[in-house]
Amino acid sequence: MFWRKRGLTDFSEEVKAHLELETERLKAQGLSEAEARAAAFRAFGNVTQAQERFYESGRWIWFDHLVQDVRFGLRQLRRSPGFTAVAVLTLALGIGANTVIFSAVYAVLLKPLPFKDSDRLVFIEKKNPPRGWVRNPISPAEILAWRNESGVFEDMAAFTQTSCVLTGMGEAEEDPCETVSNNLFPLLGVAPLRGRTFSADEDKAEGPRAAILSFGLWRRRFGADENVIGRAIELNGASYTVVGVMPANFSHLYATPYGTVPEIWVSGIALSPAHSWNDYFGIGRLKPGISLHQAEAQMDPVSVHIGEVHPDLRGWRAQLMSLRMMLSGDTRSALVVLMGAVIFVLLIACANVANLLLARGAGRAGEFAVRSALGASHARIVRQLLTESLVISLAGGVLGVWLASWGCKGLVALAPPSMLKSEPGLAGGAADLRVLAFTLITMLATTFLFGLAPALQSARPHLTETLKEAGRSSLQSPRSRRFRSALVVSEIALAMVLLVGAGLMVRTLAQLSRVNLGINPAPVLTLRVPLSGERYKQPQAQAEFWRRVVTSVEALPGVESASVARGLPIGDWAGQFFTTYDQPNPPAGQVPDANYVVAGPGYFGALQIPLVRGRSFNEHDTQSATRVVIVNEQLARMYWPGKDPLGKQLRMGTATGRAPWLSVVGVVGNVLSQGPEWGFHAEVYVPYQQFPWVLSPEHLLVRTAGAVKPASMIHAVVQEVHRVDKDLPVTDIRTMEQVAREPMAQQRMMMALLGAFAGLALVLSALGIYSVLSYTVAQRTREIGVRVALGAQRGNVLRLVVGGGVRLAVLGIAMGMAAALALTRLMTDLLYGVRATDPLIFSAVSIVLGTASLLACYIPARRATMVDPMVALRYE
Amino acid sequence: MSTREQKRRLELLQGTLDLLILRTLIFGPQHGQGIARAIGQTSDEELLVEHGALYPALQRLEARGWIAAKWGTSENNRKARFYALTAAGRKQLVRETTKWRRLATAIGRILGPEAEEG
Repeated sequence: MFWRKRGLTDFSEEVKAHLELETERLKAQGLSEAEARAAAFRAFGNVTQAQERFYESGRWIWFDHLVQDVRFGLRQLRRSPGFTAVAVLTLALGIGANTVIFSAVYAVLLKPLPFKDSDRLVFIEKKNPPRGWVRNPISPAEILAWRNESGVFEDMAAFTQTSCVLTGMGEAEEDPCETVSNNLFPLLGVAPLRGRTFSADEDKAEGPRAAILSFGLWRRRFGADENVIGRAIELNGASYTVVGVMPANFSHLYATPYGTVPEIWVSGIALSPAHSWNDYFGIGRLKPGISLHQAEAQMDPVSVHIGEVHPDLRGWRAQLMSLRMMLSGDTRSALVVLMGAVIFVLLIACANVANLLLARGAGRAGEFAVRSALGASHARIVRQLLTESLVISLAGGVLGVWLASWGCKGLVALAPPSMLKSEPGLAGGAADLRVLAFTLITMLATTFLFGLAPALQSARPHLTETLKEAGRSSLQSPRSRRFRSALVVSEIALAMVLLVGAGLMVRTLAQLSRVNLGINPAPVLTLRVPLSGERYKQPQAQAEFWRRVVTSVEALPGVESASVARGLPIGDWAGQFFTTYDQPNPPAGQVPDANYVVAGPGYFGALQIPLVRGRSFNEHDTQSATRVVIVNEQLARMYWPGKDPLGKQLRMGTATGRAPWLSVVGVVGNVLSQGPEWGFHAEVYVPYQQFPWVLSPEHLLVRTAGAVKPASMIHAVVQEVHRVDKDLPVTDIRTMEQVAREPMAQQRMMMALLGAFAGLALVLSALGIYSVLSYTVAQRTREIGVRVALGAQRGNVLRLVVGGGVRLAVLGIAMGMAAALALTRLMTDLLYGVRATDPLIFSAVSIVLGTASLLACYIPARRATMVDPMVALRYE
Repeated sequence: MSTREQKRRLELLQGTLDLLILRTLIFGPQHGQGIARAIGQTSDEELLVEHGALYPALQRLEARGWIAAKWGTSENNRKARFYALTAAGRKQLVRETTKWRRLATAIGRILGPEAEEG
C-alpha cells in the first residue's frame, strides 16, 4: 500500500531470516536442530504479535482499517442485495428530498445578498394602522422627510416601477423598468459593469435623460456592444442616453415587491417635497446599531409632521422590512414547512434503515460473537458496523444528489412564477457547494442516526449464549424488540404529521378551486398592448386604436366577444379613494376606497360578470355624454345600504379633489379581484371612451365561442393587433384560467410537494411495520408452530400477529395526532377555507394510515398462519 | 486482545531500546538478529531483549530516518535485512547518549548512598 514503505510479506521474510540466523547460531553452539529452533522462537516471542505490531505501526492505520472496513462492508452488502437496495433507495429518497428543499431554502432564505453590508439595508413602505392597511407605496414628500429628518438612515434611495417600451431599433419591446434616484447604486454598493451610474444632475426633471441597461438586455438587444455607452435609445417615445450596463446577476438579485425584474433603469426621478402621490418605494441603509423597531419609532414623529403639511398623507407610518425579508416574502413560511417535511421524511427513512440494520444485526449475532471471541474489541466492531452504515448512506447520498438534480427541475416547474422571478437562484438547482456540503453533513448525520443504535446493540453480543446456540437463529432480546417497536411507532407518528399537512393542502386547494371568482375565466384569452410614443399621446388616438382592435378581433371566426380594460379582473389591484355625493366629507380615516377598473363596453359580457341592476357600458358613453360609472354589489351595499344605487353620484379622489361627478348606471356582481383569500372589495368601473382622469386601457380580453380553446386564438388575435399597428409590442399573453390560477400557485406547489413527501412517508412507514412484523414472525415460527400443534386456530394466530402490528399503529397514530395538532399551526398562513386542526382531515388521515398499517401487517400474519407445526418444530 | 498493555510497556522501554539499537549500529550495518545478539552479549546478557520487540523499534527508527535498511547477505550466506546508521541517526545517538549519561548520573547521585546502605 502506497503509504507504507514495506509490505507485510517483506517483514515476515525478515522475521523468518532472523529465526533462521538465530537457529543456526544456536546449532553452532551445539544444540540440536529442533532445540535450536524452539529456543529461537522462544527468544523472539510472539511472532504474530510482532507482525501485528509492525502492521499497526503504520501511521495511516486508521485509514487502513477504514479501507478494510469499507471492503468488508461492501462484501457484506453485496451478499444481501435486497437489503442493500432497499436501504440505499430509502436513504436516497430522503437525502434527495432534503437536498432539493435545502437548495431552495438556501437560495431564498440563506444566501447572502450581493450588497454591501446587506444586513443594514431596509425596504421602506408605509402602513396605516387605523385602517389596517400595510405595505403601501410611499410618496416623494415622505421619502425626503424621512431621509433628511429622521436621523436613522445613512442614506435612502427611492425608485418607482414603470414599463419602458423600447422602440426605434427593430421590433418594439416592452421591458419592466424603474426610475431610480442616483444614490441607489452606491447605496447598495454595486458598481456597473460598463460605464457609470446616474449623477445627481440626472435626478432632476429637466436634467439629462439617462438610462442603464441590464446585462441581459445589453446582450439580447445590443449584441453586448462595447460602444453602447453614450448611444441614444428611444424609451416610451423619448430619447435617453445609455450611460451604463449593470453586471449579470444584478437585476436578478434585485427583486421588487411584485416580482418583476427590471431590465432598464432610467433617471429623472425628480423627488419633490411637494409631491404626495404614492408611487414609490424606498431602500435605506440604517446607521450602524439602529434596529428596525428603533428606526420605525424615530420615523413616526416625522410622519406626523408630514401629515400636517400634506393632509392626504395623514395617518400613515413608515413600515420597514429588512431587504432579505422583503425578497423572501411569502415563500418563507412555505419553505420552512417544506424543510420540516423533508426532515421528517429523512427521519422516517433513517428509522426504517435502522430497523433493517437491527434485523440484520440479529441475524449476524453469530458472526459478531465469533469475532469478539477472537479478540475484536467492542469499539472495533462498532466501527466496522458504522462503516457499513457509512457505505450505505454514501451510496444513498450519491443517488440522492442525482435524484435531487431532477427534483430541482420539478421544483422549478411547480414554483409560482413570482417566486422564480424574484429568486432565479432556485433554478440553479443543487449545483452549489454549500448545498452539497449540507448534503454531505446530512449523510454523515444519517449514518449515525440509523447506524449507531444498531451497531451498539449488535456489537454487544451475549457471547456464550450466542456461541452455544451455534447456528440456530438467535432470539432477539426484549430490549431490542422494544427499540424496534419504538422506531416503528415514531415512523408512523411522523408519517401522520406529514399526511395531515398534505391533507390540509389538498383541502385548501379544493376550497380555492371551488370558490366562485365572480367571472368565468374558461373561454377568455388576455394579452397586453402598452401604447406609447408620439402617436398615442392623445387619448383619442388610444381610444381609436382600441376601438379598431376590438372590432377586428370580434370579426374573427371563433371569437364571441372582445373588450379592453386597464388591469385584469384577478390580481391587478388599483386601489383609489372616492367620494360619494351623499357623504362628501367622510370622517378622517374613513375615506371610501375601491378597486378602479377602466373598461370597454363588452367587459362584463366577455368575463360573464352578471349585471345585477341597470345597464352595462355601450358605444354612447363617449366624452360628450353624461359621465357614468358602474359599481359592484359590495360597494352598493357598503355605501348606499338599503337604497337604490342607480343614479347615485360619486367621484374619484378625496373630498378636496376636483374630479368630475359620475352617475351610477349599473350594478354588477362581485369579483374576487385579489384572489380568494382576500374576499370581496368595493369596485368601480368607468368606461374608457370617456377618458377618465387616469390610465388608458392596456389589456385586451377575448372570449372565444363555444368549444374554441382560448389558447388556439393567440396567433390570430396578435395578427389583428399588428394589422392595426405593427410597431406595438404584444406581451403577457395568457388565458384567463392561467391568470386566475396564479394566486393559488403557492398552494398548488405546497400541495404537490407535501403530497409527494407524505406519500413517501406512508410507504416507508408501512414498510417499517411490515419489516418488523415479518421479522417477528420469522423469529416466532417455532412458538407459532407449538401453538398450532396445541390447537390454536388460524384466527388466533392471525390475531396474535396483526394485534402486535395494530398496537404499534394505534400508538403511532395517537402520537402523530398530538404532534400534528402542535405543528400544523405553523401552516396557518398557507391554508384557505380549512382550519389547521380540521377534524375531517385528521380522521381521514388516521383511517388511511391505519389501513396501510393493517395491509402491512396482513402479509406477515398470513405467513404466520401458513406455519406447518411439523416443519416449525423440526426447524430448530 | 492484550496489545494495549504491551504497548504501554513498550512505550516505557522505547527510549532505551532505540538508544541501544543506535549504539549497536555504530560498528557497522547489522541485521535484526545480529543486533539482538550484540545487545545481549555486550550487556553480558543482563538486558534481555525479546527479539520480537526489536522489530517495531527498528521500524520506528527507520521511519524517523535515523537508520536505513536494505536486503543483503549475512556472513553465513543467508538473506537478511541490514540496518545502517544514517547521519541523522548518528547525531541522534550523540544527543541521546548525552541525555542518558546525564540522567544516569543524576539518578545515580540520588540513589547512590541508599544503594550502598541497602
